[in-house]
Amino acid sequence: MTQWVVKGLATGVRTTSYPDAADHAAGVTSGRPVGGTYPAAERAALIARCPTGALTERDGAVAVDYTRCVHAYRCARQVATPLAWSHDYEWATTVGAADPRRTLDAPFARSAHIIVVDAGDCGACLHEVKQLNSPFYNMHRLGFFLTPTPRHADILLVVGPVTDHMRDALRKTYEAMPTPKRVLAVGTCALSGGVFGPSFVSGAGVADLLPVDVAVPGNPPPPLAILHALLVAVGRAEPAPALLAAEAAAR
Amino acid sequence: MSAWPLVAALLAVCAGGVLAAALLPRRTAAALVAWFGAPAGLLFVAIGAAGLAQAPQTAELWALPPLGSLAVRLDPLAGFFLLVTGLVVLPVSLYAVSGLKRLAARYDPRGYAVMYFALLAAVAWILLSDDAFSFLVSWEIMSLLVYLLVTYEHERDTTRRAAYLMLGISEAGALAAALGLLLLAARAGSLQFSDMRGSAGVLAGGVRTAVFLLTFFGFGVKAGLVPVNVWLPAAYTSAPAAFVPLLAGATLNLGLYGIVRVNADLAPPVSVTPGLLAVVVGTASALVGILYATTDNDLKTLLAHSSIENAGIITAGLGAGFVFAAADRPALAAMAFLVGLYHLLNHALYKTLLFVGVGGVDDGARTRDLDRLGGLIRRMPWTALAMLAGVLSIAALPPFNGFVSEWLTLQTFLRSAELPSVGARIVFALCGAGLALTAALAVTCFVKLFAMGFLGVPRTREAADARESPRSTLAPMALLAALCLLLGVLPTYVIPALDRAVAPLAHSSATAALVPPFFTGSPGHDSLPAPFVAEFHDLGAQVGQRLLPGPGLVLMHRGGNANPVVFAGSPAYLLPVLAGLLALTFLVARLPARRRTLARRIAWDGGIRHLLPEMTYTATGFSNPVRVIFQALFRPTIAEDTPDTVAEHFRTAIVRETASVHLLERLVLVPAAATAFALARLLARIHHGLLNAYVAYALGALLVMLVVARVL
Amino acid sequence: MNRTEVRQLAAAQSDVTVRDGAAGVLELECGPGALAALCGRVFGEWGYNFAGLVVEEAAAWELRYLFYGDAAAGWLHVVLHAPLEEPRVPSIAAVVHAADWHEREAEDLYGLTFEGHPRLGDFVLHDDAWQEGVQPMRHGFSAAAALEHRRPNPAWRPRRIVRARGSFIMPVGPVFGALAESAHYQLETVGEDVIRAYPRLFYKYRGIEKLAEGQSLARGLLLAERFAATTAFAHALAFSQAVERICGAVVPARAQVLRVFLAELERLRHHIGAIEGICESTALAVAASQASILEEELLRVSGALTGHRYLFGLATPGGLTTDLEDTACADALRSCRSVLAEMNRLWEMLRLTSSFMDRIEEVGFIRESDARNHGLVGPIARASGIARDLRALLPYDAYGKLAFFPALEREGDGYARMRVLFAESRQCVSLMDQAFAALEPGPVAVSVAPRAGAALGAVEAPRGAAFHWVHLDDAGLVARYRIVPPSFTNWHGFHLAVENFAFQDFPIILSTLDLSVAENDR
Repeated sequence: MTQWVVKGLATGVRTTSYPDAADHAAGVTSGRPVGGTYPAAERAALIARCPTGALTERDGAVAVDYTRCVHAYRCARQVATPLAWSHDYEWATTVGAADPRRTLDAPFARSAHIIVVDAGDCGACLHEVKQLNSPFYNMHRLGFFLTPTPRHADILLVVGPVTDHMRDALRKTYEAMPTPKRVLAVGTCALSGGVFGPSFVSGAGVADLLPVDVAVPGNPPPPLAILHALLVAVGRAEPAPALLAAEAAAR
Repeated sequence: MSAWPLVAALLAVCAGGVLAAALLPRRTAAALVAWFGAPAGLLFVAIGAAGLAQAPQTAELWALPPLGSLAVRLDPLAGFFLLVTGLVVLPVSLYAVSGLKRLAARYDPRGYAVMYFALLAAVAWILLSDDAFSFLVSWEIMSLLVYLLVTYEHERDTTRRAAYLMLGISEAGALAAALGLLLLAARAGSLQFSDMRGSAGVLAGGVRTAVFLLTFFGFGVKAGLVPVNVWLPAAYTSAPAAFVPLLAGATLNLGLYGIVRVNADLAPPVSVTPGLLAVVVGTASALVGILYATTDNDLKTLLAHSSIENAGIITAGLGAGFVFAAADRPALAAMAFLVGLYHLLNHALYKTLLFVGVGGVDDGARTRDLDRLGGLIRRMPWTALAMLAGVLSIAALPPFNGFVSEWLTLQTFLRSAELPSVGARIVFALCGAGLALTAALAVTCFVKLFAMGFLGVPRTREAADARESPRSTLAPMALLAALCLLLGVLPTYVIPALDRAVAPLAHSSATAALVPPFFTGSPGHDSLPAPFVAEFHDLGAQVGQRLLPGPGLVLMHRGGNANPVVFAGSPAYLLPVLAGLLALTFLVARLPARRRTLARRIAWDGGIRHLLPEMTYTATGFSNPVRVIFQALFRPTIAEDTPDTVAEHFRTAIVRETASVHLLERLVLVPAAATAFALARLLARIHHGLLNAYVAYALGALLVMLVVARVL
Repeated sequence: MNRTEVRQLAAAQSDVTVRDGAAGVLELECGPGALAALCGRVFGEWGYNFAGLVVEEAAAWELRYLFYGDAAAGWLHVVLHAPLEEPRVPSIAAVVHAADWHEREAEDLYGLTFEGHPRLGDFVLHDDAWQEGVQPMRHGFSAAAALEHRRPNPAWRPRRIVRARGSFIMPVGPVFGALAESAHYQLETVGEDVIRAYPRLFYKYRGIEKLAEGQSLARGLLLAERFAATTAFAHALAFSQAVERICGAVVPARAQVLRVFLAELERLRHHIGAIEGICESTALAVAASQASILEEELLRVSGALTGHRYLFGLATPGGLTTDLEDTACADALRSCRSVLAEMNRLWEMLRLTSSFMDRIEEVGFIRESDARNHGLVGPIARASGIARDLRALLPYDAYGKLAFFPALEREGDGYARMRVLFAESRQCVSLMDQAFAALEPGPVAVSVAPRAGAALGAVEAPRGAAFHWVHLDDAGLVARYRIVPPSFTNWHGFHLAVENFAFQDFPIILSTLDLSVAENDR
């Protein structure tokens, strides 16, 4: 067993500097498209390219609805005028107007337990959540822990568009959690159904079933985005500007 | 004060019961058992108390010249056993009102009632006998009545077989015990116990060993000791529900009474070997008993195996007493005997409680199979509460009585350091470990019983529709549960009472060892050495003085001047502490620090759509690890088959059958039966039916006898 | 056996018509009476492997049973037609056990009855939650219509097979563990070991095949990529392959080589993730951390090289959507080599950790005969002695030009599966090396004009052989999209490994099998 101890010590510290400092390592985020101003013809062409209807026109510019963007890259590849691309990761927002009760209170700031429910995701979002336990992100140092039972959980993290068969299980999990509890919808599927829903067997996101407190778009959101969302949920980070507010209100 | 009027009253009540049951109509029989049995029980208790409190009293009944005089004697030891019997007879008689209902539907309960009272009288006679003749006669009457009562529901094949096996082995045991007593009588020259007591000193070593072995295993049959307890599980399972509590609570004690009477009173051992044998046999019984109890699902069989376990623990304690007595450590011997008898008393109480409860469950839920019960706590809450008391007692958890006697038993075994020989110390160490293992397995077993039977969801329709037990079942259970709690919380009052029975046997007082007078002003306080008194103060022993002037509430063991306090504990103080902690937790939980709402949520089941009873653990599943670990002992044969498999890949059923033969049946009964049959086949050679040969046999036997008579 | 021999044998069968289908496929049309016998012969005697069953609803029911051999034997489809009003066909599950779940799925989704199949129903559409008589894959059923949500049926009972004293069902899931995918397991047991394990899957059924119908190629590609995103590139590749075969497009050389490069990168990342799962399940925390460091490094390499950590939006019919720079590829390759060196060190340490080896050695056996009968694919089949790897058997893209030897082990236990994972990881880097050396400048895509037709894309995904059947209609839209993911095939054999082992071994065996629920449920 000592060989493992030595190995672990020899590996050193690999943890990201986030949230103390921004992490700019290559490949740490897939980034996402940002809207911009384009001439009308190209604008129309770009908007038509998006297979999920995430691009809309607003005030003469192309706006991106992140609840629908699934990283299909059709707006960025094999087009004459590709959309600009950002490489940030702090994407989480609190749903609706900035409501102070959306985040958990002070006692949970340094110790929150999370239960993850897979409501039909493709595997990528769940995989990114799994990466939070790796030495690179190490969510334990920020006081986040995973628990398999909802009885001990403060935060319900949902991935997937909520398939029909998982509706009851998800609702039961939510009801089995003691208050105070918060719901985190992670991934584009959890916000709008992604490419799968709404359909005869899949929903249009978690908001149809449960009250969502923090939403993270992305397909999948990189681990740093999920970490940001968790910090937002416990009030230790600022949510992104309400990029979803107009879209959410319009829908 | 003479106790004989009480004895006469007891006999009158029994006779009255017999007459009334025989003459009055059928439907009154169950009520008669209660009406006459309850006073009989109270009389038993009264006689026992009188015997414990006073000096021994003797009365001569008859003088039969060839057999000596038939006498009865009430001494503290007999008084103790009478008291225990009374504490069992009282609730069992009350229970008969509902316990006999199912029996009365198919059979005539009058016969049962008649034999019941006759049995009570026989038990009283056994305990009061002062000579070998009346002892053996009453023992035989008791055996026969027990057999008849066990086989009362005789239309069932299994009942008849089990009772017959019991009868056979009982008779063999009685024969052995009789031989032992007669050996003693031969050396003493008379059948009187008092003469045997006096001449015990002149017994040769070989004869003494023979007496010990014969009486130990002979009486051990009734007591349920390995290897002669092969009959016990089947007989207890088949006996009528109203009778089994008496079997487990009273007749089991008679076997132990026989052992104690002969080997501690009449012919105490001089070497440690018999005692060590008793310790080993006791531990083995305990282990075998609890292993089979843990893996059994029928409630009655489970409790039967558990009776074997407890008998083993008692025997181990008594064996330790024999060892200490032979090794000239009277204080420790007194402690060991007291511990054995305390466990006997406790066992009688909680085993009766459990058996009555199981009878109630059998009536209410129509099944005794743990795999078919579940959730009874909602349908039968009072039964469940009383059973909980019984389960906590038998699992030896404070503040109930089982804890005190198990704890003291283990403490006694730890005193093996004071034994002279290394061999004895090793045996004690190993057996002490075995008893500790037994205690752990007992917790498993009874958690299984209570959890699978009473908690969770009902597994079948019968369990879901169970009816609460009637008052005639609940009242005796409540009484016994209260006694269990009382004996667990106030051991310092029980020990001086038991000491009166133990002191004459061990020639030393156990009270002095366990409950010394540590309050200033108590008699004997001044003679205690100063460091000992100092330790009292450190332990806060003075606290109880103002609350309860009396023996105090702390159990201690005085190890002599070198080691003043070997161990100390107070179940009496433990009870208010436990209650206080519970109350504190409750208060803190209810204390409204902030506005709190109580929400009722679903049971978390992983989000499945329905949590069905077939998705909950069964009793078999719960005890499977034990079954697997001790596989070498159980030696199960597992046959797995996939019948009706369509085209080799689609299985429609996987059938797995597990069968196992009881360890003792394999090791004892089968070889014994095989030997007997082989002998019989050998002897059958001379049964060829020729008249001339038989005449020749008679002539030959006559010649041999003449020669022998001439020679001797 | 080569093609001509098979053709002769097939022609000799009664009630069988031999045809030459598109793209060199041999089609055998037969009647219902001869179906089971013919399929049994194809699978058992002629040595073909079963890929899947495709049901299409047109003027009549068309059931297409897909069989494949090596390059000499090629593809063989057994086709059966049945009238639309009479949806009854014979079952071949008795002779080709690998078809068992395909028939059950077709019964649930299409309403076909497979006569002779002993256990239909309660498969994709759970009996206790789904209305009777709903067949979502039928043409008349609209994919967009939301069905009224059903209350769970209170009279439903699980089917129990074990008859033993005290047996009960240990239910696990669908929400269990901290990061496990949602699936329900019914483990029948008497308390220590699992006598029978029945997985109740399709809690994550999203109806991908239905959603693709009537959609454009772009949308189909999106669905192909997203339904099992941890192996997104492989599935997108299979879809693209099918479309390229329909439209007769030839992928340029550079794209072929880059596809190999990226596929092996994905495979390496997936395998180290599987190894991390095994270490995690045995609670060897330091090893799991080491493996997850390597996995995150590979994810970052993927993100830096292609822009997306899971290689989304790269594969497309005709090649790749964007070119990758040679220097970027060289960097990625260098990182992969160092990751492999670390993996080898990890391997050496794991082999010497007895507490770890005790948990995975001699647990979770899958015998070779069982693996063959159930048609298992991927690393778990190669760990049970079945040397079947599509990259060697039916090479695609640049695999035909690269030196490659499939990993093979015989024991079939957890340790063998882990050895296969490590061996294949070494192969990944070797293939990446060879691919990089073979990289020539050139275009990375050709335009593809959609036209009517049907073809099968077959790709060795990290978990095993993945088959995507695409049928395009005259307008170039998707008429039928059938996916046979490797997890679907392998979940069928899951019970083989888990039964007769103790509860405590269950999560470990599950982690060595590395099955994906999202991939199976589609």
